[in-house]
Order: sequence, then structure tokens, then C-alpha cells
Amino acid sequence: MTKRMTAALCAAAFALMSFGAWAQSSQKVELKIAWWGSQVRHEATIKVIELYQKLNPNVSITYEFASFDDYWTKVTTMAAGGQLPDVMQQDYSRIAEWQKRGLLEPLDSYVSSKTLNLSDVAKPIIDSGRLDGKLYAVSLGSNSYSMMLDVDAFKKAGVPLPAQDWTWNDFEKVAMKIHEKLGIYGIGGGFEVDELAWKSTLLSAGKTMYTADGKNLGYDQSYDRLLVDNLKLLQRLIKAGAAPTYAEYLASFGGSSNNVQLDAIVTGKSAIEAVWSNQVVAVAKAAGPGRNFAVVHLPRLKKGGTPGNFLKPSQFFSVTSQSKNKVEAAKFIDFFTNDLEANKILNAERGVPIAGKVRAALKETAEPVNKEIFNYLDRVSKDAAPTPPPEPSRHADIRNNVYVPLIREQVFYGQITPEDAVKQLRAKALEILLKP
Amino acid sequence: MRISVAARRKNALNDLSGYLFISPWLVGFIALTLAPLLASLYFSFTNYDILSPARWTGLENFKKMFFNDPRYWKSVKATLYYAVFAVPLRLGVALAVAMFLNRKRRGIAAYRALFYAPSIVGDSVAVAVMWRQIFGGEGLINACMRLVGLPGKTLWLADPRFAIWTLILLAAWQFGSAMLIFLAGLKQIPSELYESASIDGAGKLRQFASITIPMLTPIIFFNLVMQMINGLIVFTPALIITNGQPLDTTNFYALYMYRRAFENFQMGYASGMAWILMVVIAGLSALIFKTSGRWVFYESEGR
Amino acid sequence: MRKRITSALGAVSFHALAAVASVAMIYPILWLAASSLKGPSEIWRKVYSLIPDAPTLENYVRGWKGFGGISFEIFYLNSTFFALVGTIFTIVSSAFVAFGFARIEFRGKKILFGCMLATLMIPTQIQIIPQYIIFSKLGWVNSYLPLIVPKLFGQAFFIFMFVQFMRALPRELDEAVAIDGGGRLTVFTRVIMPLMKPALFTGSIFSFYWTWNEFFTPLVYLNRPKQYTLSLALRSFSDPAGLTDWGAIFAMSFLSLIPVLVLFVAFQRYLVQGIATTGLKG
Repeated sequence: MTKRMTAALCAAAFALMSFGAWAQSSQKVELKIAWWGSQVRHEATIKVIELYQKLNPNVSITYEFASFDDYWTKVTTMAAGGQLPDVMQQDYSRIAEWQKRGLLEPLDSYVSSKTLNLSDVAKPIIDSGRLDGKLYAVSLGSNSYSMMLDVDAFKKAGVPLPAQDWTWNDFEKVAMKIHEKLGIYGIGGGFEVDELAWKSTLLSAGKTMYTADGKNLGYDQSYDRLLVDNLKLLQRLIKAGAAPTYAEYLASFGGSSNNVQLDAIVTGKSAIEAVWSNQVVAVAKAAGPGRNFAVVHLPRLKKGGTPGNFLKPSQFFSVTSQSKNKVEAAKFIDFFTNDLEANKILNAERGVPIAGKVRAALKETAEPVNKEIFNYLDRVSKDAAPTPPPEPSRHADIRNNVYVPLIREQVFYGQITPEDAVKQLRAKALEILLKP
Repeated sequence: MRISVAARRKNALNDLSGYLFISPWLVGFIALTLAPLLASLYFSFTNYDILSPARWTGLENFKKMFFNDPRYWKSVKATLYYAVFAVPLRLGVALAVAMFLNRKRRGIAAYRALFYAPSIVGDSVAVAVMWRQIFGGEGLINACMRLVGLPGKTLWLADPRFAIWTLILLAAWQFGSAMLIFLAGLKQIPSELYESASIDGAGKLRQFASITIPMLTPIIFFNLVMQMINGLIVFTPALIITNGQPLDTTNFYALYMYRRAFENFQMGYASGMAWILMVVIAGLSALIFKTSGRWVFYESEGR
Repeated sequence: MRKRITSALGAVSFHALAAVASVAMIYPILWLAASSLKGPSEIWRKVYSLIPDAPTLENYVRGWKGFGGISFEIFYLNSTFFALVGTIFTIVSSAFVAFGFARIEFRGKKILFGCMLATLMIPTQIQIIPQYIIFSKLGWVNSYLPLIVPKLFGQAFFIFMFVQFMRALPRELDEAVAIDGGGRLTVFTRVIMPLMKPALFTGSIFSFYWTWNEFFTPLVYLNRPKQYTLSLALRSFSDPAGLTDWGAIFAMSFLSLIPVLVLFVAFQRYLVQGIATTGLKG
């Protein structure tokens, strides 16, 4: 071989090797993740992502986040353009829309292959992410609606803290008594939301809002009376001054702006507040040091009867069907669920962790308020109505265009009677549900 | 009518240079706006839900809109009410203040900045919080009312009669942009017109009526059309301050349309709403344009 | 002497009226500034008081450190870049296009002008999905391209505005240039643009401020928080369910007002007294 040929061969070999090395190093798996939340959640989640990248150097993750409303505008647009992230945060009340349209990837194969290890998670919690029999989402933390109590206010009023199985009648008496003794509200605003006045009332009666297939209402007319009674109870409280009017709730307690610092219980204007359990920390922080709170079940219909509470996934992570790295996406969700270090960073901000070992470890080191929430979720898991399936896709229409204008507004602005409202609710909801 | 060769050549040259000058806009229009526009027209006859392909439904969206959606008509009413009050209020104040600030005085720049500042705050999160505070139960407005002996307990933001007025007042408060445009228009009036008028013995009021107003009409016309359009597509304040409440009295057309599109995944319905709105605005604009021939005076066209 | 007194009275009454009105106008902004100087526990206690009990700069410090590991400086720079570039593109191209509509008679002008106006009436929320699909097919999403490139094509608001201002300018000046042998472009650059200074200045202010506050398109097209604009960042950090750091948000919101105000004050001199067209006639 001539010298020239040898040189050429060496150069070629070298070039090939360099190319090989370059190709190897750029064989990074790229993941895109999106979620909604507030500053606390953003920072915690980013730290977890960085941790994951450190432990998995071949993975490079880009992430984006937004506030709740903006998030949905964003991901909906992304879906239209085929640009969905690999992992997206999902919401119990919206997930049916996405699953129905084939935008989410079933995760069963990853679970059985243990890529996504859910062996430490209770079955009901896993199943809360099941639609049409397949698993489409993994809960990021358990949640339940609750009544948050201002312990000191109760003490001052000489009213004992409610028992876990208190009824709506007890609730009325307690609220009235607090108002009588302290002159503040028994309950702060926002109690006529569909989660409380509609859903939990039905659950406590052993019914659900919708049938399992989401094509019809889950309760017949004979149960309408329960809704009417509940609305009338709330109206009685408002009339007696034991609860704020809807107008005051809108104007002074933040109403739709959801400014936690303005909540009635934070400013000492009420002794009870209905909140999601994973909001308790925010409310307590807003109230500042020196305040004492307890968390108790929602009132139920009958003493010893079914509670109105159920174990709800606060949010989910789903893998999108548009993802090009589904295996890695599933691995990430596994990390998020089971890794102790990661969950210490997340600090149960999205709800109580679903993996048993993680939950136990976090509870040990939790601050008092967080511990209270852990204990509360423990109590709920032992005393809850069965978790209903995620709301059907038409629920958004019903809630936004029927329930809110009719029940939240017209009833509580005194424009129609509860009886009329509940009747119209049934009629209009059915109209939307039964449309082809 | 016979056109001479020279005239035809001039026409062709005009066409060429005209299209050349507007070519940036034309390109953008065809590439980026026309297709989405036509797409949305198509969507309005379908049940497009953004996440899956559209299915033709004919006039169903419009039937529902006009005959089976009370919230739709509430949003129409709210939007018209808002526009009828917010537009003249804002224009009137803007013109008055522009004239007030159209003079040489020490510190005039500072005042102009101060009057323009509210517009800069715009549609931010901060504005929403501010405005809710001022009109809240324990807010500034009620405090002022109590100072003058009134009960001062009105819940402005939660009262179906008054909530919309908090938004109308916001529009009036942010008159700065319209004011700036009027100021620019006032500045563009050649000073020698005033000088020769003074020489001819015309007083300030006469000058105002015969010089200022006529020369300002193209700008008044512009502001009128723009504010009318903006008044009818108002969106962000209703979203961040009152959220369409209470009782849908501030559920403006664009807000309701956005909700239908992104919260209920009814983009077909929302597109239908959008087209109805565009047709109405186009009609109103055409009306203003038609009548403009009578009251708008263009110096360059000697009308 | 009498003249001195009347002019002094005039000055006093002017300043009195202007000052009172100004305070009413900027009271909400004063509230914003005052709240940004209040400690977190104070903000919501005596809500509408303008004097903080214990003024502190901690909100500014905390806010500037930023959120999510990104300092606010970055959001600031992003917004500045976007607003500056966007404004230059918009104003120049809009003026260019406006000249065509205002000064040239060409076939189809009326229809195209109507189309141009019609684009003002299209709600963004409806346009966004089809436009996103177009940009996604071009591969431009997740970047600033979909935000900036459209501004090269002019914006209907400014085109319309400049058309109106141009039509108010006398034609004698155009003709003077034509007599001297200059073409349309010369008329545009030598005659019209200089006379349009007030309108251009005003338009630039608007364009800058609107681009600065734009959040819908950045929300949809930017996918890395490091790219977020200021308005988008502020929105991302005020979430209903969580505890929002309102002090920091007020502080950063107040800071975000500064660039536009600075721009406004700096370019005040272009809002000059009248236009001296003497010497061009006759």
C-alpha cells in the first residue's frame, strides 16, 4: 500500500470513529414534561427533574409550566398541532376528554413489566386513573374535600370540634352556634360548589352524579329532594348570618380570584372553610404562625351512613400518545411515584403520596400541618364512599353552563327557588348528556 | 370612456407601486391570516373540538346559539351595554384631556406621562388585584363614600347591577392611548394655520371650531372605529377581574366564546360565535365609514 | 402687570386641576407601588392604605431572584428583546404599507383596505389554533419565530392609524418632490416619514407596550421557561390553589412598568409643537 493510501485510510478510520463517538454522545433521550401549579410546585418539580437527569445522564428533559387556566389553553393548542409533551399533568375532571380522543397512552404494559412499578400503591388509587378498563394516568397524590376548622375559634365559642361522622344537621347547628357566640361566620364562602353541594351529597346517599358510562345521570328524580334540602340548609345559614352571601364571597373573599390570603378563615371571619386537603397547607401558611387548624370529614347525610368524602387523585401524570419516548416517560413517572428523595423535595404539595413506603417516610418528618393532612387522608381511606369514575366529557359543559349559572348564582342571588333550580338542573343536564 | 395610452400607463405604474408598497401586509395576510380565517368559517359549521377531526353539522351551532342558549344572549346584552357606555366615555375623556394637555407649559411632559400611565398597566395580573381591591367590600370606593356620609357597603363586584360598571370605569380610566393619538393629531395641525387665523382676527374659540376640529376629524374617525371594535371584542378585563360574574352580567361575548372553545372543547360553536361577531362589527364599521364622507375632512384630499 | 397676574393665575389653576386629576388617575399605580413595599403579612391587612407600616425592599429582592431557578432579569431581557424587535418591525412595515394605501390609487385598493380592516375584528382566540397548526408544520413552534415574523408584515391597527395621519397631510409637499424628479420612495422617506413623527412616536409607544404585555402568543409558542416573557412569567406564578407571593408579583409588576414609561418620557420631544411647513410653500 502506498503511503498516500495508508494516510487516506487512517483519515477515514479516524473520521468514522469521531462520527461514531459524536453519534453515541448525542443519543440522549429527550423528554418534554408539562404541568400547572404555583411557584412552590414549579420549583419543587424542577428540582426533581434535575435530580432525575443527574441519575440518568442519558436523558435530557425540557419542561414547561403555567397557571391552571393558561396550562389548558396551552396544551389544547399543542394537541391540535401535534406538539404535546411526553408527560403531561392531567386533571380528574378533564381526563375523559383527552382519553376519549386517543391522546393518552395506556400504561398497563409498563405496569406489568414493572417499568412503572405500582406494586406499593393501593388498588383503588391505581384504578382512579382507569378509563374503559385501561390505565391512562397515575395519581400524583391523594386528595379529599374537607372541612378545615379554626381550633381556637371553636374553643372560644365553647363548641366541641365536630366528630368524623357529623351530619349536615350537626353542621347547621355548629355553624349557627359559632355565629351566635362569636359573631363571625360559621362557614366561609364557596360551599355551594358542585363538588360539595351536588357530588358529595349524592355520594353520601350512595349515588353518583353520572352513570359509569357517563351517558346518563346516576340518580333518579327521587334523589332531587336531597339536593333541594342541602341548598335550603345553606340558604338558612346565609339568612341567619352564619354564612356569607354569594355576593360577599365574590366581592370580599376573593371569590373567583381565589386569593388564598383573602379566605374568610384566614382573616378570622369564619371558623370553618371547605377546602381540598392539599390546599390546607397554603391556607395555614397564609393564616400565619400561632393559628391552629384541624381537618375533618365533610358532613354526611346520616349518622353512621356513607360519607360524602372519596379519595380523589389530586392530579395525574399521563403519557401522551404523541410521545416518541414512551418508555422513558413511564420510567420518569415511576421515579416520581416511588423515589423517596424526589418525594421529599415535592413535600406532598400535590397531595398525599400514593406509594406506601414513601407515604410512611414522609409522614415521619412532616411538619405539624402536613402531618395532619396525612392523618386526615388515612382516616378518609378507611371511611370513604367508593371513588366514582372520572367525570364524563360533557360534565364541563354541564358544570359551566348549567350548574354554576343555575345553582351557584341564580339560587343564591334569590332569583329562583331551590326546587325550580334542581328541576331545571336535571332537565338541562339530561339534554346535554343524551344528545347524540 | 376612452383612456389614453399615457393614462393607461400611469394606471399600470400606480398599480405596480401600490402593490409594492402594500406587499408586506399582503404577503402576511395571505400566508398567515386568510387560511385561519377560512378555516374558522369552516369550523363554524362543524363540531370541531380541537382535539379530534371536525365533523360537519351544518347550521346546528347557529340554531343552538340563537334559539337554545340563554347565556349567549346574556353575553350579547352585556357586551353591547359595555360598548355603549365605555366607548363614548373613553373617547370623550381622551379628547378633552388631550386638548387640555396640548400646550406649552413647564412639566407638561410629566402630566402627559401621568395621564398615560394607567394605560400601561394594561391587562396584567396586578391590575386585576388592584381593581378588585378598590371596588371590594372594604375597598377605596366604599371608604370614600363613607367619608361623604353614604353607607358605603355596596359590593360593586358582586352586584349584578354594578359589576359591569367596574369594567366600564376601567376602560374610561385607561383612556391614555386614545388621548395620545389625539395629541399626535393635534400636533400635526400646521401651526401656520393658527397663525394666519390669528392675523385674520379669529378668536381662540373660532380657531378651535374651524381649524382644530375639522383637521382632527380623520383622527376622531380612527379612534371611533378602533374603540368601537375594541369595545366589542373586550376580553381580558372580564376574565381577570370579574370572571364573567355575577350572573353573567360581565360574561362578555369574547370571554364566553373563549370558554366555549377552550373549556368545553366546542371550537366549532365558538367559531360560529366569532363569525357572527365579525359580521356585526364589519356592518357597524361600514356604517361609520359610509357616514364619514359627510363629517371627515382630509387635508390632502381637499374635502 | 395685569398680564403677569392672569398668566400666573392661569398657571396655578392649570397645575391645580392637572395635579388633582393626575392623583386620581395614578392612585391605583401608587397602590401597586405601596403594596410592593409592604411585608407579606401586611399586604392584605390594611389593604388600601398607601403608606406601608414597615416599608421593605424584600419583595424586590425575592422577586428579582426569580422563580423556578430563573432570575427575573432573564424575563426582563426576553421581554425587552421581543418588544424592541417587534416594535421596529411593526412600525416600519406598517408605515410602508400605509403609504401605499394612503397615497397611491391602485385597482383593488378598496377591497384590500376592507380586508385589512377586517383582520382587526378577528378574535385572537379563534385564530390561534389554525395559526398554531401552520407554524407547527413550519417547525417554528417552541421559538420566538411565530411571535416576531408576523410583525414584519405590518399590523392592521398601525396601518389604519398611519393611513389616517397621512391622509391629513397636505399633498403640496409630495408634488414638490415630484417636480424635483423624486419617485414615490423619496416622497415616503423624505416627506411623509419626517412629518409623521408624532404618529410614529405614538405608534411606537403603543406597539412596544402591547408587545411587552402580550401573553397569549408567548404562552402558546414558547416552551422553555427561560424564554418566557415578563407578562407570561408573572401569570405563571399566580395560581389560585397555591400560595401566591403577591408581594414579589407586585414588585415585579411595578418594575415592568418602568421601560415603557422611560421610553415615553425619552421620546416626548417628538411630540413637538405643530409642524413647521413654512418655507415649503411658495
